[in-house]
Amino acid sequence: MKIRYLPHTADIRMKIEGSSLEELFTAGVLGMGNILRDGFCDKNGPFMVKLKIELTAHDETCLLIDFLSEVLSNSYSEKAIFCEVKIFELTTTKIRAEIHGRQQAQGFDEEIKAVTYHEADVQKNNNRDWETLIIFDI
Amino acid sequence: MKIKKADIHKIEDFLWEIPKAFRPNMRVPARILASEPLLDAIMEDRSLMQLVNVASLPGIKGASLVMPDVHEGYGFPIGGVAATLHPDGAISPGGIGYDINCGVRLLTSDQKIADIKDKLEILSKEMYAQVPSGMGKGGQIKLSTQEMDEVLLKGAEWAVEKGYGEKRDLAFMESNGRLENADPSLVSDMAKKRGTDQLGTIGSGNHFVEVDYVAEIYEESIAEAYGLAKGQVVILIHTGSRGLGHQVATDYIRQIISAMPNYGIEVPDRELACVPFNSKEGQNYFKAMCAAANYAWCNREVISWEVRNAWKNIFGPNIEPLKLMYDVAHNIAKVERHLVDGKQVEVIVHRKGATRAFGPGFEELPESYKSVGQPVIIPGSMGTCSYVLAGTTRSKELTFGSCCHGAGRRLSRTAAKKQVNAPVLKENLKEKGIFVEAGSFKGIAEEAPVAYKDVNMVVETVSNSGIARKVAKLKPVVVVKG
Repeated sequence: MKIRYLPHTADIRMKIEGSSLEELFTAGVLGMGNILRDGFCDKNGPFMVKLKIELTAHDETCLLIDFLSEVLSNSYSEKAIFCEVKIFELTTTKIRAEIHGRQQAQGFDEEIKAVTYHEADVQKNNNRDWETLIIFDI
Repeated sequence: MKIKKADIHKIEDFLWEIPKAFRPNMRVPARILASEPLLDAIMEDRSLMQLVNVASLPGIKGASLVMPDVHEGYGFPIGGVAATLHPDGAISPGGIGYDINCGVRLLTSDQKIADIKDKLEILSKEMYAQVPSGMGKGGQIKLSTQEMDEVLLKGAEWAVEKGYGEKRDLAFMESNGRLENADPSLVSDMAKKRGTDQLGTIGSGNHFVEVDYVAEIYEESIAEAYGLAKGQVVILIHTGSRGLGHQVATDYIRQIISAMPNYGIEVPDRELACVPFNSKEGQNYFKAMCAAANYAWCNREVISWEVRNAWKNIFGPNIEPLKLMYDVAHNIAKVERHLVDGKQVEVIVHRKGATRAFGPGFEELPESYKSVGQPVIIPGSMGTCSYVLAGTTRSKELTFGSCCHGAGRRLSRTAAKKQVNAPVLKENLKEKGIFVEAGSFKGIAEEAPVAYKDVNMVVETVSNSGIARKVAKLKPVVVVKG
């Protein structure tokens, strides 16, 4: 799994890679958690806040963005940062998963307004790994 | 496909055009309001390709437009205007943005800067204490389910009714701080949950509360009508609809992406997702957007109440109250009448990082502003300067009655953090008489003046193009940020 942050004039551009779709979705959650609070997801749990997410979308790109949007909304409503994903079912159009996180009473470092579809394109690269860019509206 | 300078034609001074023929799916030309140096700067990121994409929206009229403060966004460029034909032209949530009704307001005082210099540092600390800022900071008000629906319906009026605002303020807000089409039942439970404790909070990023003074007056008669005088202390507030608005946009962009095939619409970027305005999905989004816009006006009214409390705490209860000069949105869609192909028609004007700038005679304006035009407030970057302009009739001809909204970012946040030593910047600003209170040094570095274009150049351009007139220049003395 690889997570890299690339330049963008006003927002945050993140590139994620994974050897499977499961790994790619997990990289997205981890990468977003570390934007909300620097290094938060690099530390070990315990991740006591657990929430189930079930979503459908018409392709894997929309599914990933919608999934991360759902994780982000829950971060704000639960005042928690999510770092782990337990995936029960994942196809190119459907996900059933449980996200695990920790409450962050001191607030976040960064306010992500939204996970955008702009530039997102889930594809296999030359190494046969899944990858995509994600732009976060800051 | 890359846009080259040769693809851009000069129409007149400060107005440039990428013709419709540039790409087959363009329905109208793409126009850029800029001086040549600003145009060269704009070409450094992907703003213009995004502008060309906007020109492909169904029902778009006239031209897709960007202001001189434009920068690359995610789908629509930030600093853009797109007008689509009412009632069946497209409405696109991305053309409004995630921070629905992000906007600015200016409060005026009867104090002169020379008389309060020794109180600025303590004022900065009091403002920071009174106005919750930064991520995850809730406000003093916790809305019940019923109160939330009232806020979404009534906007700033709710704050006035509950004692968090001034009745006089309502006349001095765009749309009087309330959009009539709001329907709270179309705002999701998650959006409402996120908004429960965020009234009266500014959030983080480029949002702020600033104490400024009027450093220069350019048009005496207009300044007088607006209640501005040289040396006067004023307060500038910049924020929007917070998590509630972000969630409304997220919810509806997702729904509209799914609905687009039903209308045979294809867009070059999913963030341009759109449906006909008069479709069920289009109307649902518009009514939810109006509700989120009302939340934002209520939010800025409650923040003004907090600022007024801080002001009284420092200067005493008998101090002349702060008056609202004006409040304008810069992320919104409105149904307005404009001249298109020689005919007055109704269009849905999307303004994303663009300010309405209507000229003299506009009915909605308070009596005292009717003869001079609508105030346009242009915040600069921290530590530089901001401007008050007046809208003109020319803006109706050139830009669907719109103007720029700020200086416009130049550097990424990462680049700014690399270049700026925030503690040193904070000290340097203090030496210049500017007191900065922020939740983190990171926030100061990301919003440092070096990260932005020169607001003076942006304002000169809009002023020279005739879409707004320069009225006053403001200089900061206190900056409160998340």
